Amino acid sequence: MSTRISASLVVNEKAEIACMACGHALGPSGEPWKEAARLSETTLKGAGGEPYSNAANVLLRRFYCPGCAALLDSETALAGDPFLNDVVHI
Amino acid sequence: MDPITFSIIRHRLYRVIDEAVITLKHVSGSAITNEGHDLMVSLYRADGSLLMGGVGFLHHLTSAAEACKTIIRRFDGRINPGDVFLTNCPYTAALHTSDVYLVSPIHYEGKLVAWSACFVHVYDIGAMVPGGFSPDSRDIFTEGFSSPGLKLVDRGEMNTDIMDTILNMVRAPEMVALDLSSMIAANNVARERMVALVDKYGAKPVDQACQMLVDQSEQSFRERLRELPDGRWESRQYFDIEEETYHVLLAMTKKGDTLNFDFTGSSAQSKYGINCAYWAAWGGFFAPLFPLLCYDITWNDGVLRPISMIAPEGSIVNCTRPAPISLATVGAIQSVNNAACICISKMLSASEKYAKEATAVWHGSHFAIFMFGQNQKGQEAIGIMTETFGGAGGGRSFADGVDVGGEIPNPIGRMANVETTESHFPVRYLFRRATIDSGGPGKYRGGTGLEYAVQQHDSPDGGINYVVSGKGTKFSMSDGLGGGFPGAPCNFRWVHNNEAAEAGKNVNPFAMSPQQMTGEQQSISWGVFPLMDQDVLYVRSDGGGGYGDPLAREPEKIARDVREGNVSEGVGRDVYGVVLNAEGGVDAAASASARQAIRVGRLSQEAAE
Repeated sequence: MSTRISASLVVNEKAEIACMACGHALGPSGEPWKEAARLSETTLKGAGGEPYSNAANVLLRRFYCPGCAALLDSETALAGDPFLNDVVHI
Repeated sequence: MDPITFSIIRHRLYRVIDEAVITLKHVSGSAITNEGHDLMVSLYRADGSLLMGGVGFLHHLTSAAEACKTIIRRFDGRINPGDVFLTNCPYTAALHTSDVYLVSPIHYEGKLVAWSACFVHVYDIGAMVPGGFSPDSRDIFTEGFSSPGLKLVDRGEMNTDIMDTILNMVRAPEMVALDLSSMIAANNVARERMVALVDKYGAKPVDQACQMLVDQSEQSFRERLRELPDGRWESRQYFDIEEETYHVLLAMTKKGDTLNFDFTGSSAQSKYGINCAYWAAWGGFFAPLFPLLCYDITWNDGVLRPISMIAPEGSIVNCTRPAPISLATVGAIQSVNNAACICISKMLSASEKYAKEATAVWHGSHFAIFMFGQNQKGQEAIGIMTETFGGAGGGRSFADGVDVGGEIPNPIGRMANVETTESHFPVRYLFRRATIDSGGPGKYRGGTGLEYAVQQHDSPDGGINYVVSGKGTKFSMSDGLGGGFPGAPCNFRWVHNNEAAEAGKNVNPFAMSPQQMTGEQQSISWGVFPLMDQDVLYVRSDGGGGYGDPLAREPEKIARDVREGNVSEGVGRDVYGVVLNAEGGVDAAASASARQAIRVGRLSQEAAE
């Protein structure tokens, strides 16, 4: 039995944070999970079509499941800014 | 109290507000009020606490409660039937000087039983530049008339000394008088209807019902919070003014039946008027909280009780006097709106029961343009281009964001039609339409924003001036959710056709896109600019944030998006991994290959640690 903790993540029966799509474990519940994900960090300027072209040096971070490549979360950041860290208590 | 009487009184209170809003709109002559719906009317208890939140910009509901409480303190012993009080001081209760609060005590048989309060963004407030947004101000002293509280109407009689003083300090005083009259009329209607309600049901039963209503909201909201998981969620907003970058950081902690909003780490207050004061930040997160968490709960003081806030003094979300503040509503307050929307939606996403209520950010950046100058009728025309209220819906857990779909903080916001704007300002539109590729990609994409271009037309002075207070040109402010991308940023361009004409180039008078414009296109975002002769102002708003993984979007929806001009074929292929055939249908095999290639690319990335 898993418990949903975000739009893309669950906590599984082993008290691990896991990908909702494939079940790949990303670390213990209650701890930061993004370090266990695959990270794509590109300029926002190249994220979409022409309307994104005037974006400055801001980065679009995309965190992917190492198991199934599902996009688990995204955030904008300036270089060096910490990951946004969400913690859900089960 | 029997539940039927309670329910009747509750619904009568809603109708009191409805009638007051209608009155306000009918009396006001400003497009920002009766077209854009930049307004609010609400009811308050005798102690000034929120009784019944009304429609309009929702971050005013709690700030107007502080306005009522301030008046109660300042005018203790001098509050009489028929009085109307005014305050617009942002360091007292208001959000910025342009948003003038008029609050009125409601007495029944000589006893104070309630308050009504409303605001409009007045036509002018006497700041450095017309319209109230004052980008060149470096303190509140140059942001126009500001009062912590005065009695505008005394026992039903206009205090003409005060009224005349206000009108003596503003441009277009006849329009400002109409704005103030509209609020007096709205408060009069609210008072008459409340007195009629008390007449019918009695003072004690109505008071009892009002108290029950507040207690019921608190109980219902606490029950909802207990249903949601405990946790801590973070969000971050960047915004750019000139060459400077600011950020609003929010950590929202939910524990049991309480919720705390902590803005520690946000930027220090700015030299620009994008700061907001304490009560504005407080109201700022209630704007998304009311509709997202309390959509079936009456918006009143009961909802406020489980909430706490940390807003460091001297920061951009709790600035200290005399910091400039005239652009608070489109500055720090909107970032508070956005940051709270994401944190609340993340919390909702962690609940099986409430995940469907989660949404990416709608319309993260107002792209406010205030025009001012002589119009084609020889009148002094001041006002906002109401496209700023057009907005763009955020992607939700079950559907795309609504294209040009408004914003969460003002559920009734809307924009005027082109003809209305052209009749008020000496301009003509070259085009106005939804912007392709502006919605943040996602399983459910963000709603598209809009783009428009205007040129002076029939101006007695050869043109008109405008104030740009744009942020969100370098950063996307409509954050995505659950992996969805943020919506595209705003863009403002001054197209120098006059110089092109002087250089002998042909100037296309009917350019239908930025690509067709001849003159140099200069990106602008802050300050006062002229729109003269053949020059063009081009404005592109932000798109809504996306929800979920773009690769999870049904390919047929991309085909439809491309067909309808909301997504380009290139973005459909490169971001969504959907390849279309020559007929515009989905090439299933090519799309499967494209998506697989994107997945392989994702897995080739390094671990985030």
